[in-house]
Amino acid sequence: MTPTRRRRATLPAIALLALSLTACGLSGSATSPEPDAASDQPAEVTGKITFSTLQLKPTFTEYIEGVIDDFEAEHPGTEVEWIDVPFEGAQEKIAADAAAGTLPDVINLNPNFAQPLEAEGIFLDLEQEVPDLRDAYVPGAWDTFQVPEQEGSFGFPWYLTSEVTMYNTAMFEQAGLDPETPPATFDELYAAAEQIASTSDGKVWGMHPALENRFLLDLAKEGVPLLSEDGTEWVFNTPEAVAHVERLTKAYQDGVFPPDSLTEDHTKETEAYQAGRVALFPSGPNFLTIVEENAPDIAKATGVGPQITGASDAANMSVMGLLVPKTTENKATALAFAEFMTNAENQLEFSKIVTIFPSVTEALQDPYFTDDSDGTVESHARRLSAEQLENARNLLPVQYDDRVKAAVVGKVQLAMKGELSAQEAMDQAVAEANAITGR
Amino acid sequence: MTVAGAVGRTPVRPGRPKDEDPVTRRLRLTPWLFLAPALIVAVVFHVWPFLNTVVLSFTDARALGGGTFVGGDNYVRLAQDPSFWLATRNTLVYVAVVVPLLVLLPLLLAVLVQPQIRAMGFFRSVYYSPVVASMVVVGLIWTWMLASDGVVNQVLEAMRVIDGPLPFLTDSTLLLVSCMLVTVWKGLGYYMVVYLAALGNVSKEYHEAAQVDGASPARRFWSVTVPGVRATMFLVGLLSAIAAMKVFAEVYVMSYGSAGPGGQARTLVYTIREVGLGLGGEIGYASAMSLALFVLTIGFSAGYLRAQRAEAR
Repeated sequence: MTPTRRRRATLPAIALLALSLTACGLSGSATSPEPDAASDQPAEVTGKITFSTLQLKPTFTEYIEGVIDDFEAEHPGTEVEWIDVPFEGAQEKIAADAAAGTLPDVINLNPNFAQPLEAEGIFLDLEQEVPDLRDAYVPGAWDTFQVPEQEGSFGFPWYLTSEVTMYNTAMFEQAGLDPETPPATFDELYAAAEQIASTSDGKVWGMHPALENRFLLDLAKEGVPLLSEDGTEWVFNTPEAVAHVERLTKAYQDGVFPPDSLTEDHTKETEAYQAGRVALFPSGPNFLTIVEENAPDIAKATGVGPQITGASDAANMSVMGLLVPKTTENKATALAFAEFMTNAENQLEFSKIVTIFPSVTEALQDPYFTDDSDGTVESHARRLSAEQLENARNLLPVQYDDRVKAAVVGKVQLAMKGELSAQEAMDQAVAEANAITGR
Repeated sequence: MTVAGAVGRTPVRPGRPKDEDPVTRRLRLTPWLFLAPALIVAVVFHVWPFLNTVVLSFTDARALGGGTFVGGDNYVRLAQDPSFWLATRNTLVYVAVVVPLLVLLPLLLAVLVQPQIRAMGFFRSVYYSPVVASMVVVGLIWTWMLASDGVVNQVLEAMRVIDGPLPFLTDSTLLLVSCMLVTVWKGLGYYMVVYLAALGNVSKEYHEAAQVDGASPARRFWSVTVPGVRATMFLVGLLSAIAAMKVFAEVYVMSYGSAGPGGQARTLVYTIREVGLGLGGEIGYASAMSLALFVLTIGFSAGYLRAQRAEAR
């Protein structure tokens, strides 16, 4: 090759390489937002903002658009552009938007999605921006949008759910159990499940373990410390956790759980309950509506008990929130809209469309949540769930992301199959979880 | 041309006279204009992401932040990562089982449906139909069939082949075998069509001559059909091996995203996705894993092509 030719061949290669080096952000973190972009912001509630939600279209389009219209009417000169992001792929979109500094002005996130961004200092601290609002919200929900070892709280709690224990009263009766008395402790839960499975000639299973949904949550309810006090290390390989895994293993091997349940997710648990294949279904009361739509006979036979809280006596709740990034160019309107969307009136209206719960204490006092005198299972579930919320917390640490969950649940699956002892499973789960979280 | 005229001229690149007329210049540009759309797509969606992946594999890039150069740390970690080696082993086993089946079975199928007789078009369409179905839908159908109370277990139990249901979905080995079965089942129709085209080029005279010589159908298959489509068999082997190296959807769907108990049925692409996805995703490490898969695929393809050339000689 002549020097000219070689140069001709080399130059584009170098150019491409240089291009790729520039593009991948070697020069540093791309996620640090401008510390304060507020200087040229409108001080009043006016102008345009963007608002994104997680998979609420098309089911709740009418409601969301209604609230937006009300906000725009109350604050003339404002305009809210609503974007809905499907749950699948949402994390990637949020990460890309955060890196590019193009997050919407008000963004709907759950604590797991929010926490890595909160830790990067992406969002406004509401303790500083709207300190008076804190007391209006359910305390456990407000605290969910905090970061361990970091000051501030970064999200307006939006809608909540809190699990209840649903069960098939007909199956209880057939197994010789009292259909009016739902299990109140984990011991009672597993004893009931075992009795149902053993008396049904293999036609019905007691319950579904739904490990990916419940395993770590149940450890927390049993009072097992999940993380060290500074939140940097997983420490849940305690004797109580080992005992819990042993109980799961025994139940699986005795046929209390369906054979394929080892790797199945919560969707399959719902399907199994609707199909009348399992008798107990600890889940959010919103699933009552789904069961009613898909299996009216099963819904008729369904009874509801309070969430089983275990040794810790702590009830769990799932929280959705609205956060405002520091990069917003219209802070006043973004904060006002997030507050408006989560106020008592709007949340109460939302809760009447679907079985979710408001994060504002005032709305929870409404008779809709306190009065179950109509005798329906829905109103009973609503009352039970709402009562729990006042003292409920989000028991799952935000560090329990998909990879940690896969590692932990994987070890439990191996223990349930008899390939690891319960102690080995918990020790290995803690080691792997720490390896992932510590990176 | 005078000497004086040549001395004063600015040097120009050979083959491109300075005073070329606009029509010639346009003609020179024309091929590039035709090539441009394909070239832009190739550079933007293949070359650029590939180079970016190479660079990222030497950094600690994460979904949020990072991006500092870390030398070969990701590759050192890869060499010590048991999940990566488990995924590599499973992927290689997958290739070793699936490729021979996908080379041979579609050929047999193609031989069966080759005759131009009535209703054969129907069978060709039926065998081809899984190819156009979504992998997720196919995976879900097979998950339902292979469940402990699914059709397959019920039939085997009814035939008294087994005493209790086989854990197709909750035993890592059986799960991998089930996924292989689905890959083969879904790929049969596609490679059958490839073979049908190749079989059309095998002269009938060879078959007739063999028949006259008293060769049985099996003998004719091995001695006439197989040599006649040997080049296509190599092509099918290469294509199916590259596809099998990238297996993901089967494992993901049939294990509800878990890759079996303890993730023991994981494949390389499954592991890359697990490591790189989400807000905590380790993009740098996942890129190093992707490069390892790339090297494995290229290495396999190169060895395969060399074997083909040696065979041809």
